[in-house]
Amino acid sequence: MSAVAALPTRKSRRSWLFALGLTLVGINVAVALLTLVWLPYDPSSTAGGRLETPSLLHWAGTDRLGRDLFTQIMIGSRIALMVGAGAVAIGAAIGVTLGVLSAFATRLLDDTFAAAFDILIAFPTLLLAMLVVAASDTASLWTAILALGIAISAIVARLTRILAKRVIGMDYITAARTSGTSWPQIVVKHVLPNIWPTLLVNFALQFGIAVTAEASLSYLGLGAPPPNASWGRLLQEAQGTVYTAPFGAIAPGLALLILVIGINLSADGLRDIGDPTRRGSR
Amino acid sequence: MSLLSVKGLKISAAERPLVSDLSFTVAVGERVGLIGESGSGKSLTAMAIIGLLPRNIVASGSITLDGQQVIGASERNLGQLRGSATAVIFQEPLTALDPLMRLGRQIEEPLRRRYRREGLDPKAIKHEVLELMERVALPQPERIAAAYPYEVSGGQRQRVAIAMALACQPKLLIADEPTTALDVTTQAEILKLLDSLVRDLGMALLFISHDLPVVANVVDRLTVLRNGVAVEQGAVRDVLGVPKNPYTKTLVEAARAFDQALGRTP
Repeated sequence: MSAVAALPTRKSRRSWLFALGLTLVGINVAVALLTLVWLPYDPSSTAGGRLETPSLLHWAGTDRLGRDLFTQIMIGSRIALMVGAGAVAIGAAIGVTLGVLSAFATRLLDDTFAAAFDILIAFPTLLLAMLVVAASDTASLWTAILALGIAISAIVARLTRILAKRVIGMDYITAARTSGTSWPQIVVKHVLPNIWPTLLVNFALQFGIAVTAEASLSYLGLGAPPPNASWGRLLQEAQGTVYTAPFGAIAPGLALLILVIGINLSADGLRDIGDPTRRGSR
Repeated sequence: MSLLSVKGLKISAAERPLVSDLSFTVAVGERVGLIGESGSGKSLTAMAIIGLLPRNIVASGSITLDGQQVIGASERNLGQLRGSATAVIFQEPLTALDPLMRLGRQIEEPLRRRYRREGLDPKAIKHEVLELMERVALPQPERIAAAYPYEVSGGQRQRVAIAMALACQPKLLIADEPTTALDVTTQAEILKLLDSLVRDLGMALLFISHDLPVVANVVDRLTVLRNGVAVEQGAVRDVLGVPKNPYTKTLVEAARAFDQALGRTP
């Protein structure tokens, strides 16, 4: 009986967390959109003092060159959303397609696909990014997004392949086939809806990883070039002065944390909506 | 001419024979049973009839369904046969239904295909879904149409599965142990339902089961399978009344002993 009584609380806690997640992501999106029309300071203005602590004038303090950090973090949120959404979109498009194809392919083709995914996963993202940059001549935010997207696609493809294979083995797929459902229809109507909840959580995870990975790419000059202040680059720049001016590292770190938590909570909530058995009684 | 004609069917996996030299026919509107213990090749035979054997299992011989050869047929031809010539009801309705699709939509899917095939007006689909659900005696069809498989009982799930099969309006209905996963009371209800539906709609029925009394009540003729070999074939009255094969005799005696133990007269 206690289990029955515990259900509503668990459900309301879940929806509360979902609301929190959406709010955190919403704040980020709002800030990112705001940067397109308004910024507190010119991002390249060095008018402030160097390495100032947070004050009413400079909410997050200033960096080594006297630039307002809050302004840069605001721009960073736009870049983080672009990198995360872009890389996950590319990774999902390639990964889900290849994963489903592999799951339906003949044994030999499937094994080849699986091996290709594993090799790509073992391949360092940095090397991949350098290859993409080499192929496109200049390093830009887009080359970083493309490189991260390709790296993510391998992980998504492997997960999709395993999940789809499990679903294909289920009785309801055989049942659908006995009534004349074609393979494409089976993919759209039965396979994708059944693997979607798990994929969604993985996408959220990859989103967070992409945002942090862009930082390392920026550090090596393979990411967004200045004056595009990504949170990753802000973190790298604050590295040298972390003992004298810790807030320079704390502020972008906090922003990153808020976005990643927001994305993860939202994905959990979306998964619960996608899976009726987790939705509780109606 | 028979609707389904199986001649010298051989099914094997990696040279190991699973079914050998099986022959039987099902005429239009006829009800035929395939009986045998688990592992005797009953379900494999059903899968071979609709051309859905796993890749590593090979069938040879001849299966003609509605005038078309199934063995060696292209996927395109098989796709046309499935759903129009045959529909299948499975043993475990919980796993045979998509867990994340509302039951109404699951009935709608095969219905939509038939409408397209026959060039009917798709506006009538929603209405026919509810009609089909009433036909299989589902209470509150509107509520159940909006429910997910885990939200209704096992008997109701099997009724939905039957409605899905009926939506195809097949010439031959294959029921693969349709009552095995259900409790005895529900079992009797589902059997009665199947029996009346098949009679009313004039469908042929291939009923696969290990349960002798169940089969005896539903079909006209039956084939007894053991280890992939047909040991006895004929009208139900002859096969179960005067079994010739020692295996069939054991089966019949076991069923009788069970009935006597329960205080029933066979």
